[in-house]
Amino acid sequence: MNPLPVTDADLNAYADGQLDASRVAAVEEALAHDPALADWVADARHRNAALRDALDPWLEEQIPERLLVAAAGPAVVAQPRARRWLMQAFAAAATLLLGLAIGWYARDVELERDGTPTTFTRQAALTHALYAGDVNRPVEVWAPEEKRLVTWLSKRLGFPVNAPDLNGTGFALVGGRLVAGHQNPTAMFMYENADKQRLSLQVRKQHVDGGEVAFRYAVENGVGVFYWIEDNCSYALSGNLDRGQLLAVGRVVYGQLAALEAAPRK
Amino acid sequence: MSVSNDPPLPQPDLLAAIPRLRRYARVLTGDVNRADDLVQDTLARAWEKRRLWTAGSDLRAWLFTIMHNVFVNQRALARRDQMQVSLDDGDGSEAWQIPVRAGQYTRVELTELVAHVGRLPTDQREVLLLAAVEELKYEEIALALEIPLGTVMSRLSRARAKLRLAFADAPAATPLKVVK
Repeated sequence: MNPLPVTDADLNAYADGQLDASRVAAVEEALAHDPALADWVADARHRNAALRDALDPWLEEQIPERLLVAAAGPAVVAQPRARRWLMQAFAAAATLLLGLAIGWYARDVELERDGTPTTFTRQAALTHALYAGDVNRPVEVWAPEEKRLVTWLSKRLGFPVNAPDLNGTGFALVGGRLVAGHQNPTAMFMYENADKQRLSLQVRKQHVDGGEVAFRYAVENGVGVFYWIEDNCSYALSGNLDRGQLLAVGRVVYGQLAALEAAPRK
Repeated sequence: MSVSNDPPLPQPDLLAAIPRLRRYARVLTGDVNRADDLVQDTLARAWEKRRLWTAGSDLRAWLFTIMHNVFVNQRALARRDQMQVSLDDGDGSEAWQIPVRAGQYTRVELTELVAHVGRLPTDQREVLLLAAVEELKYEEIALALEIPLGTVMSRLSRARAKLRLAFADAPAATPLKVVK
């Protein structure tokens, strides 16, 4: 038997690619001297790969609806009327996400921790697609109750939010809702023009101090998204408009928010 | 209980985690329907307990923890009521259906491997799955299963020793004495 102090735990960690770098040389030397050890490691690695090969196809299966409903949380289950379309939206979102999310999962988490709002644009686009596509109930609170909507969202987000007036650009407020954010809840305001095109503005608190970010533009799944960060809040304006139109509206939104910020609070 | 006052879980991440939860559940229960029941219970529990999730931390690892707890509790109840036979008590391999896919391994080999994994005691099966298939760090596995790191390592060792024995009639353990 090889005298090197290589343990069971070392061998397992080596086979799983988790061995501490300081131990690798000792283990590799032991493997070089002992064919039985080398065989054990090869065997374990072979079985890891085979097991993944066997079980990976399960990941590609369609997710049953009852699980999509369960993932949507208790608030959804409590509203049967809202449930059907939300389930469909979730199914669509899940299909979109599966391709993206599985492979990107770890990377997204890292990016998000670093304050790079990659996930925010994707989320904003997804959320927009989810709700703007719903003809009957895109919002939770409708425009006639704007005051209540703004009060409610400000309370839930923990800072004052406002629905910008975009009538000058041809878009009227439809209403708004609270949506799940990656780290913080997000407020969403929905607008619609005479051609029934919809825009949404999403606002949330930045988890980490990402500094100021000038207007950036991204297209996610066919939805154009302008986003920017100011005063530790992220803003995303999403819609199926062309870049120029979206930017024009974005400037109006930005201008109004800046004016509000400058004005003394009542 | 004031469900609505807790911040919601990040749904894109939740959705992205479902396929892996289903896979893990299937290996735990050995049955497609019971696996989806387990995932559904896990998601419901996650929403109930969402204030315990630290925003920004790994949601998937947290969901594995919840699933582990739900599974252990349900199994304890089932044992008490004698309504179900645990996989550990018998040969649960009939429940396994391995997807056919052209790969470097033969279907027979994969089916046999998964059947052997299915016969491992649950605690060893969990650790092996999380390490080999989900590729979690040992520290993450220890957190998810709420066991010490040393227990993770010993269960992993035993799981691999059993598989090796099952396949080869080879020496059951690693060819090493454990050196402290």
